[in-house]
Amino acid sequence: MRADSGELERAGGNEPPPAREERRLIREAQRGSASALADLYTAHWRRAHRAAYLVVHDAAAAEDVAQDAFLAAVDALDRFDRRRPFGPWLHRIVINRAIDWSRRESLRRRIVDEAGELEQRAGGDARTGADLGTDLMTALAALPVEQRAIVVLRHLLEYTPGEIAAMLELPRGTVNSRLRRALDRLGSALEGGR
Amino acid sequence: MSEQRLRELLAGVEVPAAAAAERRGRAVVEAAFAERLAAGAPRRSRPARLPRLAIGVALATLVAALLLSPAGAAVRDWVGEVFDGGGTGLREIPGGGRLLVQSEGGPWVVAADGSRRLLGNYEEATWSPHGLFLAVVSGRTLTAVEPNGTPRWSLTAARPVRGPRWSPSGYEIAYRSGSSLRVTGADNTGDRRIAARVAAVSPAWSPLRAPQLAYLGADGRLRIAASANGEVLAMAPALPALAAIEWSELDAGYGLLLEVGAAALRVRQTVVGKLAGATILGPPRRLALPGGAVELRDAALSPDGRAVAALVLVDGPRGARSAVRLIDTRDGTSHRLYSVAGDGLAELAWSPDGSHLLVAAPRRDEWLFLRRGPHEGRSFDGIAAAFSPGRVANAFPTVEGWCCREAGG
Repeated sequence: MRADSGELERAGGNEPPPAREERRLIREAQRGSASALADLYTAHWRRAHRAAYLVVHDAAAAEDVAQDAFLAAVDALDRFDRRRPFGPWLHRIVINRAIDWSRRESLRRRIVDEAGELEQRAGGDARTGADLGTDLMTALAALPVEQRAIVVLRHLLEYTPGEIAAMLELPRGTVNSRLRRALDRLGSALEGGR
Repeated sequence: MSEQRLRELLAGVEVPAAAAAERRGRAVVEAAFAERLAAGAPRRSRPARLPRLAIGVALATLVAALLLSPAGAAVRDWVGEVFDGGGTGLREIPGGGRLLVQSEGGPWVVAADGSRRLLGNYEEATWSPHGLFLAVVSGRTLTAVEPNGTPRWSLTAARPVRGPRWSPSGYEIAYRSGSSLRVTGADNTGDRRIAARVAAVSPAWSPLRAPQLAYLGADGRLRIAASANGEVLAMAPALPALAAIEWSELDAGYGLLLEVGAAALRVRQTVVGKLAGATILGPPRRLALPGGAVELRDAALSPDGRAVAALVLVDGPRGARSAVRLIDTRDGTSHRLYSVAGDGLAELAWSPDGSHLLVAAPRRDEWLFLRRGPHEGRSFDGIAAAFSPGRVANAFPTVEGWCCREAGG
């Protein structure tokens, strides 16, 4: 499920600890060890934060989404089954909350547009020049959020289509078709623009 | 494009201010973890450590999130060195100054050393700009008192008095009487009506040395009026369900007006026009609240107008959480500073110099004082009892003011 360590993994964030070490950290955190929790945070934050950002395209929202996922982890720590890997559980929360945020934001924008509201919305605006500073971000932003999420799960977090289907509670065929369409559109956007 | 190339691109996207976000996230998560320990969450083995220590680490950690400059120092460099659980009862005011605290029994003045004095059986109170006097309200009576409680003068209005606000110049006091807005001289002369029908929202004086004040009309419009005669100098639609107006001075003669709604925040830049001397209202800018925010509990504009501290109730994956957010009024970016499960936080107040933020946590019977610059945070419990001596039912008090930006004068 996970790529070998290397430049790509390090660029995406800290590498999660080996399974045995992760189980130990969870066990210690369940016993009240703040340092174990801190180690889990260090191991998983960057990838979770990056994944959220790539879906929501809003730095503040991505921070909130990633924080929420970790807060959910803290809340559920005592019920967490140590035999299960921590990362997929965390990523499932991150991606689903990122999708929820993007849908809400899309709805809010439609309402604001329809109401003809003249207010400027200060900050937190998803489509700033800085946020869309790369061709990839521009191309990702043009995708429906459901496709963006699947691209991130598959090609940043490196889950299989079957795992993604389970995370998003979708048929595997739907995951495959959305992924195919997304990659076609990304390919056209990124290569067509050259 | 190959899948390998796509992976490289995804991994190479720069997430804005990622390091700062990671530090803030760590502070929030560690604070939540410490809170969980302190609350006695079930553990599979090994008893809990001392709850106060856990809370202390949480407090000290979350203060790291208050650091506005990306210093980059590791949180753990100072956690444990600087935390001080202040203990039971307020023994000092971190950040200095004096607090004005409203309890069931009336308003209290709290000195910097934590000593306190009940002013009397008044329903509301507000500081004069330099803390030399207070305006207090009882029924239809507005009274100016000294901080030791000695009355200087009283004014009896036709209708019950509410929401007194002393002007920054010190020369005038605005108050609502029934549905009208009135202004009286601080020497109890020249009492006059400014507007006949206003909403039940306290007015805000201009911080720009102009004798003008902002109020919400009964028609839902925000007005800027001259305090001399009530002449309306500017008007604009107010935020729906407006609950509060605050007005702080920015640099170079500009002000920032904050509108606090039931679930929204909005700011406008203000400036005093050079020709007519009237306040000019800039266009409104909405400050974004986090997705999932179901209630805006409280919001406070920092004295320098650069930040709004907002207390929001947010729907989380495991139920509602109370969160304190700091919103930059210049670009609207915001960060969560602190988060607790449930609706355990009630109000916020800035210290006069903007160096500290007081966060009330009634369910824990605590005030938390968070410091921006040096890494310090303090908590004091036993607050309800401290302001309800001799009472059985200790309602948690509210902070009505934190005085003063300048000493004396």
